[in-house]
Amino acid sequence: MSTAAQTHTGNQLLFSGYDPGSFYDELIAPNGLPRPCAAAMYDNLSNMPLDVFDERRKLADLSYLVQGITFTVYSDGRGTERLFPFDLVPRIIPRSEWDVIERGLAQRVKAINLYLQDIYGPQRVIKDKIIPRNLVYSCKHFRREMVGLNVPRNIYVHISGIDLVRDSRTGQYLVLEDNARSPSGISYVLENRLVMRRTFPRVFELAEVLPVDHYPAELVEILRSISPRPSDRPVIVLLTPGLYNSAYFEHCFLAQEMGIELVEGRDLVVVDDCVYMKTIHGLTRVDVIYRRVDDDFLDPLAFRADSLVGVPGLMNAYRAGNIALANAVGTGVADDKAIYAYVPKFIKYYLGEDPILHNVDTYLCSEPDQLSYVLEHLPELVVKAVGESGGYGMLMGPSSDKKTIEAFREKLIADPRNYIAQPVVPLSRCPAFDPAIGAMSPRHVDLRPYCLFNGEDVRIVPGGLTRVALQRGSLVVNSSQGGGSKDTWVLRSDE
Amino acid sequence: MMLSRIADSIFWIGRYMERADNTARILDVNYHMLLEQPPDTYKLRWDPLITITGERKRFYQKYDEASARTAFEFLGFSEDNPNSISQCIILARENARAIRDRISRELWEDINALYHKINKLRDAGEEDLALFCDAVKKGGHRFHGVCNATLPRDEGWHFLQTGCALERAEMTARILDVHYHQLLEGSEILNEARSHAWMAVLKSVAAYEFYKRQYTHIEPEKVAELMLLDSRHPRSVRFNLGIVQSSLYAISGSVPGTYGNEAERLTGRAHERLTYDSIDEIFSGGLHNYLQDLQETCRTIGAHVAETYLHYAVTA
Repeated sequence: MSTAAQTHTGNQLLFSGYDPGSFYDELIAPNGLPRPCAAAMYDNLSNMPLDVFDERRKLADLSYLVQGITFTVYSDGRGTERLFPFDLVPRIIPRSEWDVIERGLAQRVKAINLYLQDIYGPQRVIKDKIIPRNLVYSCKHFRREMVGLNVPRNIYVHISGIDLVRDSRTGQYLVLEDNARSPSGISYVLENRLVMRRTFPRVFELAEVLPVDHYPAELVEILRSISPRPSDRPVIVLLTPGLYNSAYFEHCFLAQEMGIELVEGRDLVVVDDCVYMKTIHGLTRVDVIYRRVDDDFLDPLAFRADSLVGVPGLMNAYRAGNIALANAVGTGVADDKAIYAYVPKFIKYYLGEDPILHNVDTYLCSEPDQLSYVLEHLPELVVKAVGESGGYGMLMGPSSDKKTIEAFREKLIADPRNYIAQPVVPLSRCPAFDPAIGAMSPRHVDLRPYCLFNGEDVRIVPGGLTRVALQRGSLVVNSSQGGGSKDTWVLRSDE
Repeated sequence: MMLSRIADSIFWIGRYMERADNTARILDVNYHMLLEQPPDTYKLRWDPLITITGERKRFYQKYDEASARTAFEFLGFSEDNPNSISQCIILARENARAIRDRISRELWEDINALYHKINKLRDAGEEDLALFCDAVKKGGHRFHGVCNATLPRDEGWHFLQTGCALERAEMTARILDVHYHQLLEGSEILNEARSHAWMAVLKSVAAYEFYKRQYTHIEPEKVAELMLLDSRHPRSVRFNLGIVQSSLYAISGSVPGTYGNEAERLTGRAHERLTYDSIDEIFSGGLHNYLQDLQETCRTIGAHVAETYLHYAVTA
């Protein structure tokens, strides 16, 4: 077995020849040495022989497979299950940086919540001409049914995931988009940490990493607080579209961690405007639903009639105040990508504060002058459909051919309200293991922290989900495009 | 408190795992027994196997002849046979996946690992039959061990027990029924071969050693007695209906000696009969009819469990 070549690669050092290049590197300074936050991790990993590292990498992959943390690819007809690739090099955030991020996110989430309360209430923000009425009412996810409805404790976005990127040119974090409906991915944050701790126990010992595993406990506390019935033990359930949803693993994981029932639409029934679940001993009243089903599919009587995963009559029960939903219905009117451009104004308007985290420059194609700029500069811009998420309906100008750009141009002209455009942000990078060369190589990353809002404070588990574009040069971190994830560490101190 | 859908899934995890396990046992024992037999007995001895699994029709649509190869393919991993071992494991895993938040992490990981293991063996040839069956049987043992060691004794546990025991009771009755039929009718079989066949039957329900300690010779009546009426062997019909009965009581809160629903009544009656009937009485009344009746009762009990707890109608 021990041929000369294998012995040689077995001793090769993981970071030898690593070049952070011209982008901002999260872990390695331009001189090739680790940043202070990464020193402990670097010392440990850089001396680890390749074969040892590779062995641990395979063990980590195996543990995801054994646990069934996979997503299913149906294109080959056999329903092959694939792993969401996990890269073993952690993304490390120094404490002082995190403190800024945390304050910036808290501010943003509070403003978004106040905006929702306003939009479905007095609509001061429109009357005061902060945002055009048309823009709000033309949002795909604006829900007329919510106007004038009081939600428990005035919380609309109990859970949000705000996508951040670091601009390599300035080193500043920017908000790329808000996810205020039902963002997924938190289960990967918790599982990645678990696997990481098992794979590199020694590295954890050295670096003082802030824990993340209290997330489910904090979430269930919020869910408990919005129960419409005063009771010590409200019945809380997580509503999932079911086994074949790509986030099903996460739904199970969270229900189990929170000790609540995981239900499908067919388990619930509405009788006299109250929601019940079907148990082996009859019907049991439900108080709170953490729903992971989109608005459109929630109630076939109120929204899409063809929904098979919803609960007929649920909206009536909600309007009658007999059931609490998290997140509230209609929060999509906050994370529409055109509304996103106004969030800094909301922060100023509702809180009287300057935004701590800035937006990426955004051109609203609904504005004629901005549209004409966008049309002239398509090859340099990223164009996104406003109501989509997960990388759908997007044009990456710089990497698209002429034909694609021209086809997109027509779509833009036909329905300008549906699009926004942004300059391409040179995302920061982080070392990731490249099996092809058997060494570390820089790859672009983003960051999605998960924010919990309890009506007063915003709680954020330190870090969040770091997604990494594992293909060399790629800026797209979505799992469908060959993206993977990393464990994200926030250190107790800066070093 | 337990959702009906969850109870349904747990019940079926039990049934499918047990079905896979039993099928592997029958397949394995038969294969090994036939290795020591003259080749002309082949057809005769593979055919009953197909009958046991209740898939005769589907089998002969696909194959001309029951041989080690075709039986292994069909019962082992055919996608055309909904009761093949790999299909049972796929369905057990799908059910486990659907309720993975309600079972222990260990149980889910165990069933998932078994699925991946069996999946790797799915293109195995005849020579790997023993390996395949062994993996399934060991998987069955691990399944029970993991359940035993990690599941709380709540309602879910009792639905699991009901599913496993009901399936096992019916399987044991069917194994006995089919072999008895074949062995009595096939008069051309030599006495020695017949005794081998009964030994194989006992081995397929893991009762050979237990039998040998109690009886000296292999006699069909004694084999039937053990498989039907024994109070201690975990694969006898009586033993398993006893488990079904106590699990149903645990779910409903009914007191022994009474019944709260049709499933409990039928289970109680069948268990009573198996407790007080003697094997001589059963033979004089006709074993085949007795076994047919038992299998039918098992199916009816399953239907009533579903109607009472799993798929009842809600009037809004």
